[in-house]
Amino acid sequence: MKQILGIAVFLAMIGTNALAHSEKESMTPADGAVLDNVPETLEMRFNDGMRLTKVEMTYAGTQIETLDLGAQSGFVKEFSLPLVPMGSGLYQIEWRGLGVDGHPMTGSFSFEVK
Amino acid sequence: MPDLWGLAAIATKFFLYLGVLASGGLILCRLVLADQMSALDRATRIWAIGFATLAVAMAALGFAVRGAVLMDDVSGMVDPSILALLWQTPPGEALLFRLLGLGTLVLGAAIGGRWLWVAAVGGAVAIWSFCEIGHVASQDRLWFQSVLFAHLIAAAFWIGIFLPLSRLSRSAYTLGDAAALGHRFGQIAAVAVPLLVVAGAIMTWRLVGSVSALFGTGYGLWLLAKLAAVALLLALAALNKVRLVPALQRGDPGVGPQLSKSISLEWLCVGVILFATAIFTSVLTVPT
Repeated sequence: MKQILGIAVFLAMIGTNALAHSEKESMTPADGAVLDNVPETLEMRFNDGMRLTKVEMTYAGTQIETLDLGAQSGFVKEFSLPLVPMGSGLYQIEWRGLGVDGHPMTGSFSFEVK
Repeated sequence: MPDLWGLAAIATKFFLYLGVLASGGLILCRLVLADQMSALDRATRIWAIGFATLAVAMAALGFAVRGAVLMDDVSGMVDPSILALLWQTPPGEALLFRLLGLGTLVLGAAIGGRWLWVAAVGGAVAIWSFCEIGHVASQDRLWFQSVLFAHLIAAAFWIGIFLPLSRLSRSAYTLGDAAALGHRFGQIAAVAVPLLVVAGAIMTWRLVGSVSALFGTGYGLWLLAKLAAVALLLALAALNKVRLVPALQRGDPGVGPQLSKSISLEWLCVGVILFATAIFTSVLTVPT
C-alpha cells in the first residue's frame, strides 16, 4: 500500500505537462469552438519557431487521421494544414513538434461541428 | 504524468548525469589529489572509462528518445529525417560536445600518465555540454552558463572521490591512505562545496524566481526534493570531515567500515539528487 501511495505521489509531483514545455500558441478553430461547417484548414500559430512532426485528428472518438504536414523547411511560427472533412461531430487534434530550442513540444485541442 | 517516452527521457538523463559527472570527477580527483591517489591509478582510470562508456550510450539513447517523442512512436528513434532535424538544434550540439568530450576522456584515461590532462579536458567538454542546452542555456547569458559549469565541476569532484575513498577505507592495510585522501579532499571541499551551494542558489533564484513558485509548482517541488537530499549529503560530508577522517588519522581501525557506509549513503543522496534533476530538466517547465 505504501509503495502504491509512493508511486501516486511521485506521478502527481511530476505533473501533467510532460514534455510539453508549453509555449503560448493560438489555434483556429479555437479549443472548444462550436462551428456550423467543417473548416477547410487548421491554422496553428506559435510564439517561437516550430517544426511540426506529427498532427493527428480523431473524429467522434474513433476515426483517427494523420494530417498531411506538407513540405516543411526550417522552423516557422505559422502552419496551415488541410483538414479532412468528416461531417458533424467532435474533432480532437493532437500535435507534436520540435521547438527551435530543441524542446519536443506537444499539445491538443478540440472543436465541434454541429 | 509523463508518457512512456517521458519516463525514458528521465531514465536516460539520470544515467547520463551519473556517467558524465562520475567519469569527469574521477579524472579530476586523480589529477588534483595526485599523491594520495597514485596507488589507485589503474582502478581510477578503469572506473572513469566505465562511467564514460555508460554516458556515451545514454547520450546516444537519450538523443534517439527525443526522436521517439517527436513521432510518438519507436520508429522516431531511427528516423533519419527526424534525427537530422534534431541534429540542427541544441540537443544535436550537446550530443556532439558529449561524444567528443567523452571520447577524449576515454582516450586519455586509457593511455594514462600525462594524458590524464587530455582526459580532464574531455571531461570538461562533456560537462560543458549541459551548459549548452536546457533552461540555463535558454537564458542566453555566458555568466549564467559559467555558474552552471562551476556547479557541475564541483559536483563531479565530489562524486569522483566516492569510489577511491570507499575502496581505501574497506581494507585495514590502506586505512592510512584513506585518511590522507579524505583529509586532503576535505581541505579542497571546504572551498568547492560552498562554491557548489552558492552556484546552486544563484540558479534557483534565477530560474524559480519566487518562494511561491518553489512551493507551488512541480518544478519547485522537485527542486525542494533535491535540496533535501543535498542537505543530507552535506550532513554526511560534515560527519566524515569532522569525525570519521580525523579518527582514521588517529589510526582507529573500526572507522574504515563506518566511512565506507557513510559513502554508500552519500551515493544514495547523489542518486536522489540526479533523479530529481533529471525530472525537472526533462519533463517540467521552469515557473513563469
